[in-house]
Amino acid sequence: MLRTLLALCMLLSFSLQAAPIKELTWEALVPADAPHVAPQTTPLHDLSKMGTALGEAGPAAAQSMPNAPVVTALNGENVRLPGFIVPLEVNEEGRTTDFLLVPYYGACIHVPPPPSNQIVHVSAKQGIKVEELYQPYWIEGTMQVKPSRSDLADAGYQMAANKIFIYELPD
Amino acid sequence: MYLLRLALASLANRRFTAFLTAFSIALSVCLLLTVERVRTEARSSFASTISGTDLVVGARSGSINLLLYSVFRIGNATNNIRWDSYEHYAQHPQVKWAIPISLGDSHRGYRVMGTNQSYFEHYQYGRRQHLQMAEGREFATDPFEVVLGAEVAEALKYTVGDTLVLAHGVSAISLVKHDDKPFKVVGILQRTGTPVDRTLHISLGGMEAIHIDWQNGVPARGNGRISADQARNMDLTPTAITAFMLGLNSKIATFTLQREINEFRGEPLLAILPGVALQELWSMMGTAEQALFVISLFVVLTGLIGMLTAILTSLNERRREMAILRSVGARPWHIAGLLILEAFALALAGVVAGLALLYIGTALAQDYVQANYGLYLQLAWPSAYEWSLLGIILAAAVLMGAVPAWRAYRQSLADGLSIHL
Repeated sequence: MLRTLLALCMLLSFSLQAAPIKELTWEALVPADAPHVAPQTTPLHDLSKMGTALGEAGPAAAQSMPNAPVVTALNGENVRLPGFIVPLEVNEEGRTTDFLLVPYYGACIHVPPPPSNQIVHVSAKQGIKVEELYQPYWIEGTMQVKPSRSDLADAGYQMAANKIFIYELPD
Repeated sequence: MYLLRLALASLANRRFTAFLTAFSIALSVCLLLTVERVRTEARSSFASTISGTDLVVGARSGSINLLLYSVFRIGNATNNIRWDSYEHYAQHPQVKWAIPISLGDSHRGYRVMGTNQSYFEHYQYGRRQHLQMAEGREFATDPFEVVLGAEVAEALKYTVGDTLVLAHGVSAISLVKHDDKPFKVVGILQRTGTPVDRTLHISLGGMEAIHIDWQNGVPARGNGRISADQARNMDLTPTAITAFMLGLNSKIATFTLQREINEFRGEPLLAILPGVALQELWSMMGTAEQALFVISLFVVLTGLIGMLTAILTSLNERRREMAILRSVGARPWHIAGLLILEAFALALAGVVAGLALLYIGTALAQDYVQANYGLYLQLAWPSAYEWSLLGIILAAAVLMGAVPAWRAYRQSLADGLSIHL
């Protein structure tokens, strides 16, 4: 009886230990077989297009990839990923409980938005007090991957954060 | 223990200066805590006003400006946006829900907001709480119905069934009123602790109806007027609104849609993420907050230095007292302890009186501050941070008490018994 209990305990402790945290880079979120997007080769200083580029009658802005392919193998993995926080939901204590994690600061304004496989939607129960938007953080938690369905762009990565801490430049 | 009793008795002997010293510390403590409370309260009330909204869209201006006028009813819009732009995005495949907002009028200083049913259905505040009706119902198809925020109803003593007249512009006293088209109160919302409480909600049709016969910026006169009944039969689809809020199907798509709206070819639009704009607002306010905090710290320091001065000057008068104490057997450290205890007692009295002032002041000013500034100051126990501030003040007082204590320690006997002329 005692022996089986001990064996059970050992089994349990083994399974608890068995999920090491996998450190991810943003490149790892793009599948290896993802189609290449042809780089834009037209010169940016093409004066003949100036009139339409700035005017409001020109063609609508090109959409970046709203439904980019995702790495489904990451689903359920315990991962650690560095990134910048874009707050979505702020609670009464001023702590951000729901945010988007992006690979570079200013992802929302200066450049076209990153494709959907370069954004992680993170929810953090305890919240994080974001003092400056340009401070990168490490996020640790379980990754959830939603593969793309239909034309509705809801594909992407979600994460429930267990641990959030400041990212420091490696020496 | 007897040292404390002696210190208190000595203080009681100089009760007037002691009272003034403690009072100046009390005032400074009260100021410090007030600044701290207003700061945290302002932040939490801002943060709890909007929840669950992914994008706020308005005419192109600044992100903070758009957030302030659309969500907090502070300041004014730079421009309106077209109704068809709203419809374009309300039907966008990424968009789950959309709330149109039309601002610009008021009623006795409270802002009037034109919106539609989706506001009651989708607007969320605090921790994803929806608006609830306290009384009555939401406005229906009749354009001349109004739903009041809790505070509007309370302050102006309106109940369901009353009629009221809206005013043009957003000042508290308006000279131009839409008095030919009175509105009927059909519902009152439950208190939320957000700007919703200070808002009158009418339908977009109602907003359109009160301005329908305006010509060249003034209400029509004579037979150019359109009565409320005539307006009811007209097409009241708005041509322009002030802003709209969007909830998306997928948070991941936020940036893409934001980008799309910002580059919308129909007219210049601006889409913001409320959380990001709030963060920008805070980092901007942070400097002012810090300045206020530093100022109040200096006021506390002044109060404590005032106490130090009072004790040091009293040392001179008390040379005899010290000498007598020494001659009846008090050791030098007794004298020093006496003075430190005195400083501590003064500071403690100051802190306690400061807290009392804070709570009395909060209780008295609560209603006024909420009505005028929309801040709800709570009568809560001091937070951990406030306790630590108070602790630091007491520690600083003891440290300062050490200065006269050290002097008395060195000189008590020689000084008091030798004769000075």
